[in-house]
Amino acid sequence: MTEELAAIQTEALTAIAAAHDDRTLDEARVTFLGKKGRLTVASSCMKDLPKEEKPAMGQALNETRQTITAALENKTEELQSQADAKLLAGIDLTMPGYCLPAGGLHPLTLIRDRAIQILRRLGFSLAEGPEIETEFHCFDALNTPADHPARNEKDTFYFDSGKLLRTHTSSVQIRTMEKAKQMPIRIIAPGSAYRRDEIDATHLSVFNQLEGLYVDKDVRLSDLKGTLEYFFQSLFGEKTEIRFRPHFFPFTEPSFEIDIKLHVKGHEPKWIEVAGCGMVDPAVFSSMSLRRGDETLLPEKVTGFAFGMGLDRLAMIEWGIRDIRRLIENDTRFLSQFA
Amino acid sequence: MLTSFNWLAERLDLSQHSLDELSDLLTFAGIEVEGIQEKGLSTNLVVVAQIKEATQHPDADRLKICQVDAGTESLHQIVCGAQNYQIGDKVPCALPGAVLPGNWEIKKGKLRGVESGGMLCGADEIGLPKDNDGLMILPPDSVVGTPLKELYANDTIIEIEVTPNRPDLLSHSGMARELGALAKLQLSLPTIPSPAPQETSSFIQNDSPERCPFYSAIRISGAKVNESPEWLRTKLESIGLRPINSVVDITNYVLHEMGQPLHAFDAAKINQGIQIRLASEGEKIKALDENEYLLQSDDLIIADQAGKAHAIAGVMGGFDSGVTNETTDLILESAYFAPSEIRRTSRRLILSSDSSYRFERGVDPKGVLAGSALAVKLICELTGGKVEPTTLISGEVPTVTQPVELDHARLAQLMDHSISLEEAEAILTSLGLSKINPTTWDIPSYRGDLQRHVDLVEEIARVHGLNNVPSRLLGSYSEENDIDRAYDAQMSMRRQLASLGFYEAQTIKLISDTQLHDCLPLRPLQEGDVIRVSLPLSEDHAVMRPSLTPGLITVAERNACQGASSLRFFEMGRTFRNAGGGKAKDLETDTLAILMAGDRRPSDWHGKKTTPIDLYDLKGVIASILPQSSIQLAPRQREGFVLSADILANGKPIGIFARLSPSRCRELSFETPVCLAELDLKKLQQLRTGIDQVEELPQFPGSSRDIAMEAPADLENAQIEKAILKANQAILESYYCFDLFTDPSGEKLAVDRKSIAYSLTYRSPDRTLKGKEVDEVHAKILEHLQKTLPISYR
Repeated sequence: MTEELAAIQTEALTAIAAAHDDRTLDEARVTFLGKKGRLTVASSCMKDLPKEEKPAMGQALNETRQTITAALENKTEELQSQADAKLLAGIDLTMPGYCLPAGGLHPLTLIRDRAIQILRRLGFSLAEGPEIETEFHCFDALNTPADHPARNEKDTFYFDSGKLLRTHTSSVQIRTMEKAKQMPIRIIAPGSAYRRDEIDATHLSVFNQLEGLYVDKDVRLSDLKGTLEYFFQSLFGEKTEIRFRPHFFPFTEPSFEIDIKLHVKGHEPKWIEVAGCGMVDPAVFSSMSLRRGDETLLPEKVTGFAFGMGLDRLAMIEWGIRDIRRLIENDTRFLSQFA
Repeated sequence: MLTSFNWLAERLDLSQHSLDELSDLLTFAGIEVEGIQEKGLSTNLVVVAQIKEATQHPDADRLKICQVDAGTESLHQIVCGAQNYQIGDKVPCALPGAVLPGNWEIKKGKLRGVESGGMLCGADEIGLPKDNDGLMILPPDSVVGTPLKELYANDTIIEIEVTPNRPDLLSHSGMARELGALAKLQLSLPTIPSPAPQETSSFIQNDSPERCPFYSAIRISGAKVNESPEWLRTKLESIGLRPINSVVDITNYVLHEMGQPLHAFDAAKINQGIQIRLASEGEKIKALDENEYLLQSDDLIIADQAGKAHAIAGVMGGFDSGVTNETTDLILESAYFAPSEIRRTSRRLILSSDSSYRFERGVDPKGVLAGSALAVKLICELTGGKVEPTTLISGEVPTVTQPVELDHARLAQLMDHSISLEEAEAILTSLGLSKINPTTWDIPSYRGDLQRHVDLVEEIARVHGLNNVPSRLLGSYSEENDIDRAYDAQMSMRRQLASLGFYEAQTIKLISDTQLHDCLPLRPLQEGDVIRVSLPLSEDHAVMRPSLTPGLITVAERNACQGASSLRFFEMGRTFRNAGGGKAKDLETDTLAILMAGDRRPSDWHGKKTTPIDLYDLKGVIASILPQSSIQLAPRQREGFVLSADILANGKPIGIFARLSPSRCRELSFETPVCLAELDLKKLQQLRTGIDQVEELPQFPGSSRDIAMEAPADLENAQIEKAILKANQAILESYYCFDLFTDPSGEKLAVDRKSIAYSLTYRSPDRTLKGKEVDEVHAKILEHLQKTLPISYR
């Protein structure tokens, strides 16, 4: 009996060792431990044994079963890990990932949002106005005389109704001052403006501006300077050099143009114009006071500054875009670079 | 405006200042220097040479072999193509080694096999104004061998942009005056003789004193008009003007010296006297530029008293009465014209001249008689003419300036105390203003732009410089308004769409008439809704877009052309239309448009062939930007599109959905469906406000059962879903369609049938459902469906 058990164990271990997959291993299990398996059969002989031999034989049987079971478990584990390893083998980590549809925001949206976020930090709120404007809001209220060069059909798009496509977002200054309920006014207005320019590498007939206006009882030149320095240094880096050149606009006085020093690798640094600004001309406040019929905006009571800049131009500077038409073509080879 | 450095240097001692310094001085005083151009020669190697001999080149018809004397021992042989010289003429000769303008070095060489040791030059080749197409012929008394740079001085031409408020800078004296103030230099302006006595005369009949407040005419007789002397020609040539004759040159000189435009008439052509009047409608005049202009009754002209027009007032003289070398008697006009109307005429005629440019900005009233006095003096000197003792006038020189108050306290506040009153006053004084009393300033006649306190502040600020003003950065609280909220909502939608794999496009808001067919506006366009610009730049940009879809279709077409296979774009922006069909009120609405076409996903090595997108892709995108809403499409016919439908969110319309018609797709060469949606941004914003309160997660497990049914192909999903709900089973938590099968071949399933399957989930909020209970409820639903719908179970 003992010899037989020893033989079963040896054969079982051999069979288990020889098993090369789940099926052959299971066959081995059935052969030795199954209902009619050899160990099961052998243990059924127990009842025929003399009583005194039973405990020893029972123990031997148990040991054999445990040994075979352990071997089976080990083998199962071994086969499992072989199978696991097999699944991982040959995976080429250098293959590219699967493609998802790519998307992204337009560069004008990106630059506009950055500009807005910077100015919001200073307490500017957004404002807007119609793009199809009246001559009053686009010119008259902005102290632009009737015979001003911009006010003709050669430079400005007019409609048969006498309205026009606003030539600048400055009309939003007027729209805002008309209905402002209290001081201060601190607004920024991003939006389109239109000029009758043929489209080429540096001109669009529809372009994007950002207007700003701050009116209160004691707004000074130093506020204008501080705000715009902060703006351009936040946008283009804190080391950005900025200069203010006196200039002329009908609706601000004094007026300035703002240049920043542009550094392009391989080129001499040069000053380029990025914005116009100035202290709101008292004539604008007078016209607004007349329109409102109250004293909130009397030029004796308030001062203010205004600024305007081309967002297309800022985008071109920020990303070195040479041809402004890229901004309206919406070619994905261009847009994907901003994603 | 072109300014000659040499000319300026006659008015100011500029020897202590470099050109860069001067340029900066002007720039930071608000006078933009647009360009600086060196004129003339710096080399000694361009000399006066005399042509001694010219023989035909053996191999070239158009070339001659010249022997020239350049003042050296032997003659130089130079091959030359010009035809305009004669033997013995003196011409400029560039010797080998000379560097001509444009960095052009002259070398010894062969031309068609013949040696050529230098180049004979035309005026433009050596940086002088071009006078003919050939060689520059020098005066016969020029000394052979003299370097040209000794005969024609170098000059630097500064191109300056003068802002419209500063007409006083539109002359050399004016610019010198400004520079003198900025650089603190002594001025030496030309000596102006005192004007002759004035006499109001019927010789001048002024019918339009509002348009011409002051007119003066002075007669000069017995003049011999011929070429101007060199100093005068050099001055005019330096700023790009062509010398014509002494009288015309003098009027041009006075304009550019003092800023006062003048005009000289040939007195023989002026019948009786001068009449200043508005043109009659349709009256014609041939101007000095030899073009004929058709005038309107709004144009001011200078005519003779017999009725003939001789000048478009302030803009350009007439051709017929212009001063020529035959003229002996002349009438010199100097006047003050009302600026706005000069601009109007000049603009309408598209005729701008140095004269009109100055008149329309406003000339110095005190310069009117001074300018004519200087011109008279020069004309008498150069032509030997005799001037009549009195100047005939009409009207009075207007006063355009008046004393201005300077409010010291407001000045200090605006400048943030960065400048003392003494410094500020010194600036005003340097600019020619004088203090009448502690707060009142007298303004010089040439500064008509200084009318108010703030105009004086501007002068102080620009000369003081913003550099010298401190920076102040004060933030303040401001309330979030509706526009802020709308902007933030739009940005969050933009970001979401970008992360769903869409590129944001921004297209031109002006479209063409043909693009109107691609429009998918929220409401169909009616007669009169479209807004057109009166004078479009081109047909492509003639209409304000009533919808964003035409722009997106163009973008998709463009990208498809360059090979993009997956087209997913959106645009957010303004659309324009007249409200309610032709009413005056223009309506501008911000909308969102989405376009999908081409491959569902970019192709990669994954092995699965990519499939083209269909309308359910776009419907899914809309559902995912409105996750809190139930999205349905309700068919509504739109011309030019198929499968068009209103987009409903919770039953309310928020936009319009469609596929581009197959024929339009073929026109645009799209091979796959193009799906479009245009949505009302305001409504989207309202639907995207998020949830009020979260829903607790279920505490008990749910249980799912499937329904697979065969149904007529035209039985809509909505009907089936409705029937499922109608079965009214409380424990039915949710359901979704998970399979749809049709067989166009009819082999597995009749073509008019479809197989459709739903998964239903049952759950109770307060206990775990038993399997049997679920089975019973599910059976009730199956029964209800079978009873109410023409379906069968498989």
